[in-house]
Amino acid sequence: MEQDGTLLSLEGVSTHFFTEEGVARAVQDVSFSVKRGKTFALVGESGCGKSVTALSIMRLVPDPPGKIVGGRIAFEGQDLQGLSEKQMRGIRGNNIAMIFQEPMTSLNPVFTVGNQIVEAIRMHQRKGLTDAWSDAVEMLRKVGIPDPEQRVREYPHQMSGGMRQRVMIAMAVSCEPRLLIADEPTTALDVTIQAQILDLLDELQSESGMSILLITHDLGVVAERADDVAVMYASRIVEMAESSVLFAEPLHPYTQGLLKSLPRLGLLEKRLPTVRGVVPNPLCFPTGCKFHPRCAIGFDDERCRSVEPELRQVGETRRAACWYTPGYETQEEYRDYESRYGKHKRLSVDGR
Amino acid sequence: MIRRDGQIGKELPKGRSLWSDGLRRLRRHRLAMVCLGVIAVYVVLTGLIYLDELSKWDTPVTRWDEEVGGAYEPPSAKNIFGTDFLGRSVFRKTLYGARVSITVAFWASVVSLGVGVPLGAIAGYFRGVADEIIVWVYTTLSSIPYILLILAFALVLKDKTINLKWAKLGIIELGGIATVYLAIGLTSWVGICRLIRGEVIKHKNREYVLAAKSYGCGNGRIIFRHLIPNVFHLVIISFSLRFVSFIQAEVILSFLGLGEKDRPSWGAMIDQARLELPRGHWWEMTAATAAIFFISLALNIFGDALRDSLDPKLRIQ
Repeated sequence: MEQDGTLLSLEGVSTHFFTEEGVARAVQDVSFSVKRGKTFALVGESGCGKSVTALSIMRLVPDPPGKIVGGRIAFEGQDLQGLSEKQMRGIRGNNIAMIFQEPMTSLNPVFTVGNQIVEAIRMHQRKGLTDAWSDAVEMLRKVGIPDPEQRVREYPHQMSGGMRQRVMIAMAVSCEPRLLIADEPTTALDVTIQAQILDLLDELQSESGMSILLITHDLGVVAERADDVAVMYASRIVEMAESSVLFAEPLHPYTQGLLKSLPRLGLLEKRLPTVRGVVPNPLCFPTGCKFHPRCAIGFDDERCRSVEPELRQVGETRRAACWYTPGYETQEEYRDYESRYGKHKRLSVDGR
Repeated sequence: MIRRDGQIGKELPKGRSLWSDGLRRLRRHRLAMVCLGVIAVYVVLTGLIYLDELSKWDTPVTRWDEEVGGAYEPPSAKNIFGTDFLGRSVFRKTLYGARVSITVAFWASVVSLGVGVPLGAIAGYFRGVADEIIVWVYTTLSSIPYILLILAFALVLKDKTINLKWAKLGIIELGGIATVYLAIGLTSWVGICRLIRGEVIKHKNREYVLAAKSYGCGNGRIIFRHLIPNVFHLVIISFSLRFVSFIQAEVILSFLGLGEKDRPSWGAMIDQARLELPRGHWWEMTAATAAIFFISLALNIFGDALRDSLDPKLRIQ
């Protein structure tokens, strides 16, 4: 089952939140795998379940109300679900590290950054204080902080957002994890800093050979840096492919919509097209395909309204979850459709 | 000098912690510094009395039970606060009273913070059953009138012994003063517990806690190393404001005859003096009351200033 190059694999993972208003299905049946030394991007609008997927991998979903209700998460072939909390603590930070969206709040305000990096190091390595401290200085230098000897003694509030994110990265990679989960690492930063931070991640990756699970809503970020991409919509993966393939020819209407809404050089349209509507609330998802109310093809299609398409292999290297993706339907389903709802739309779809 | 990374090669302002920042603000508050001086006088006095007793310097203050004149002598140049019914110097007794009061207030604070802070943090962090039990205990405690509760604790603890042989500390006898501070401490942790619980609930969903978990911190470490330092300024503030009420509680207990018996305390002095007041012997009452008044005032003003400087956001409300 485990291929040689696979570091992390998720199979059918579902995470639900049991709230008083009802069950919020934040992550449903998500499967993907991250290869060694590669960058895997998880893309989607806010609220589609990207972050919960990341927290599920780390087993940090707030419980209660959250719970991983199904599926298997394997890291280097080891089922993370089966580990005790203590074993899991040994994995966090040591094998799988994580950086967060808000560098402003993810550092403890009452300790110097050096203190915090030292803590992260000493959590997993038997090192003396002085050794760990010089490691911390070295880490800060590595992530491109000027004057690390002095900066290491400073408090988070004395640093800018970009610097804090660098500190977070220094903490995360201080134990040389094999997987770094970067949850929207650049969202809260200035545009000028964003590229620097991403370059830094690239650099660290090529140095250490770690894998990165990059979570973002910014397709521009993904196109350049990721090897594989999964697009998430309303708690499911709707399309997955190699990055170059996906950007060259998006298959799912949602991916197409996202790509069309990106500004491009030389485009003379006055307004960018948008994807109409908003991500549905996980407490009350639409029936059938969750994207159908916002979809140009599916909004008046009976089947899209009533039957949810699962993620299927549609090409050699890619998967999609849309009834109208070429190569998605089986002959049987095609015939079944015509007998139930009348004339099939495929012709008009293929021409799009 | 401009370096290649675009930083100007000037020394950056030195790193300042929350604490040193607060101290700097506090130092600007002149009245608070005066009050700190007053508190320091009381504390130093207590320290000196302890040193005195340990090293047997035998200064007049530790010889408070000496007869220095006739009974009920009014204030004079020889005895500035007069004498009591046994001809002892009221001045020496008043000074000695600081030892009892400060000691009681200090240990009561230690007991009350030692119980309240961890319980509050545990309740706030874990929520659920632990939270419900702790909240149930403290709401029950706080529904009983404070003085009654202290009296009950003091009476129960009176003349009991605590067996600490397992910790190789021997058997501790709960004499008068130990009873007092245990009683005060065990009944007054409710306020700080509630405060810490609320603050921890606020902090535990901050991202730095999640970040700490993400690099492998366990619950205990998160509570004691990450959360409590973040709420500790509240502990300091509440400590300074509560110190007064502990001093007062000791006075009340001694007044009611449950406190220190062998040594003079301000409460015991007031208790004795109240019967003599109608006969015109006002000096003992005045001396004890003044001693309490000055430390209470100083602690209150200082506590307020401390709160303003450690928690500047609070002032806006």
